[in-house]
Amino acid sequence: MSQTTANQASSPVIELRGVRKSFRRKEVLRGVDLSVPPGQTFAFLGRNGAGKTTTIRMLLGLLRPDAGQVRVLGLDPQRDALEIRRRVGYLAEDPVLFGWMRVGQLLSFTRPFYPTWDQTWAGELADRFELPMETRIKYLSKGQSVRVALLLALAHRPELVILDDPTLGLDPIMRKEFLRDLVTYLQGERVSVFFSSHLLYEIEPVADSVVILDRGRVVIQAPTEQLRADVKRLIAPLDAEAALRDLPGLLDVSVRGRQVAAVVSDIAAARTALVACPLPVQEMDLNLDEIFEAYVIGQTKESPHAEAHLERVE
Amino acid sequence: MRKLIWKEWNEQSWKLAFGSVVLAALAFIGLRSRILADETMVMWVCFLGFSLLPILASTGLVPAERSDGTLEALLSLPVTPRRILAVKTAIGLLLVAGPMIAAAIVSVALAGNREMDLAAMVILYARSMLTALSLFIWMMALTIRLPSEARAAMLALGVLILLAFIASARLVNPQVPMIVAELSPLSFIHDVVADQKIPAPPLLAIVGVQLGIAAVLWTWASRSLANGAN
Repeated sequence: MSQTTANQASSPVIELRGVRKSFRRKEVLRGVDLSVPPGQTFAFLGRNGAGKTTTIRMLLGLLRPDAGQVRVLGLDPQRDALEIRRRVGYLAEDPVLFGWMRVGQLLSFTRPFYPTWDQTWAGELADRFELPMETRIKYLSKGQSVRVALLLALAHRPELVILDDPTLGLDPIMRKEFLRDLVTYLQGERVSVFFSSHLLYEIEPVADSVVILDRGRVVIQAPTEQLRADVKRLIAPLDAEAALRDLPGLLDVSVRGRQVAAVVSDIAAARTALVACPLPVQEMDLNLDEIFEAYVIGQTKESPHAEAHLERVE
Repeated sequence: MRKLIWKEWNEQSWKLAFGSVVLAALAFIGLRSRILADETMVMWVCFLGFSLLPILASTGLVPAERSDGTLEALLSLPVTPRRILAVKTAIGLLLVAGPMIAAAIVSVALAGNREMDLAAMVILYARSMLTALSLFIWMMALTIRLPSEARAAMLALGVLILLAFIASARLVNPQVPMIVAELSPLSFIHDVVADQKIPAPPLLAIVGVQLGIAAVLWTWASRSLANGAN
């Protein structure tokens, strides 16, 4: 393998540096930095209105950033939008397809735009997703429509798949089926996936890395396992409240009856800081949902990253 | 490109059929029943054609896709917005020209050289068609960022009224410079509606100005479409 090829193979599939975007006076992205390594399933998390869809539209060249640098597969979306769209599979949030077309017609319509379209693979996906090829799109159920959109995003064997909250509007069973289909695909291919969602418990089993976007800024980017290992909840008697509030990397503190609970972003540093604390401190694992909440609620309460808000619960 | 044409044709062809049948039927019934003088009847058909067809065509292309939510699916394909707009423009021009040609054929077949000179009838239809085609470009460009057909239709109607005022400025005050009238596509039919004492802008000058405006508006529209997801 040549040096250039090796660099390309290891260089990020998505890279954003200081990206800003405003709509009229509303600043949606306020200096976003993130880097997605190749071959990973990357969860792009944030509350509604955090700027996820705006970021994704920039990746595809559908929006121009006001400032900063965007690279997708090493290309500039403003200059090389067509090349990016040929090599990327994109599933929009709540995708609206051409309702008058039959499923088969939609596939025939889309195919010529992609030189790498694999008709055999498209047929296999259509069978696996149980898509009725002769039915008009407007008569499909929501779940079937999302599967058609997923098929369109995958049939040209993209190097990178960008999914913008694809399970939005699906019922829990459909969401599970959609993720099962996606995981089946991912297991077969070494394709990079950039998966935006706010349903964290669903994305947790498939995400290799996580980035949390809050009010236009990235608050954390880390591998999922590392995040689970580093972010912990500490529970201690109320007398330890002052010690917990001084912990490094403190995200959240709440008082519950005679106990105080704190969430820290760096458990190793917290352990070191608590060596001198004579009171018993219990550590608890958090799931992605709780980690997300700790980061985002801390941000929402206008507290700096290392300062927590104090919530008193009777 | 072929697939884009196929898509637009499938979505818009009913409008071409509907517009052609309605306008041709209007010409047929009017000229056959002779409730009005032939020239008046043809003027009415032309007036309806150049005022309604550009609105129908322009609002159904981009604003309709925006309100349906399908514009993003189209723009996220690996195809330039310029190419998408070129196909939409070609289909739109066909939607405008088709019914006018159908009405002209019916009128010539039924009443050519009856009360109205055949050449005058053809010229009237040709000038009305130029008006309609230019109006279509104006309306398509100016309504391209609107989120629904209804709002686009309201704006298109406003554009029509404004351009009618501009075209008639010299009828109210002959001191108004000729170039002002040339800015409006409705000046193509100045000869038909205006007092002969007020000279019409030269046809070639109107064509030149309208082509220039169309080029500027179209370029601006294609850039707007490129940022259409805003």
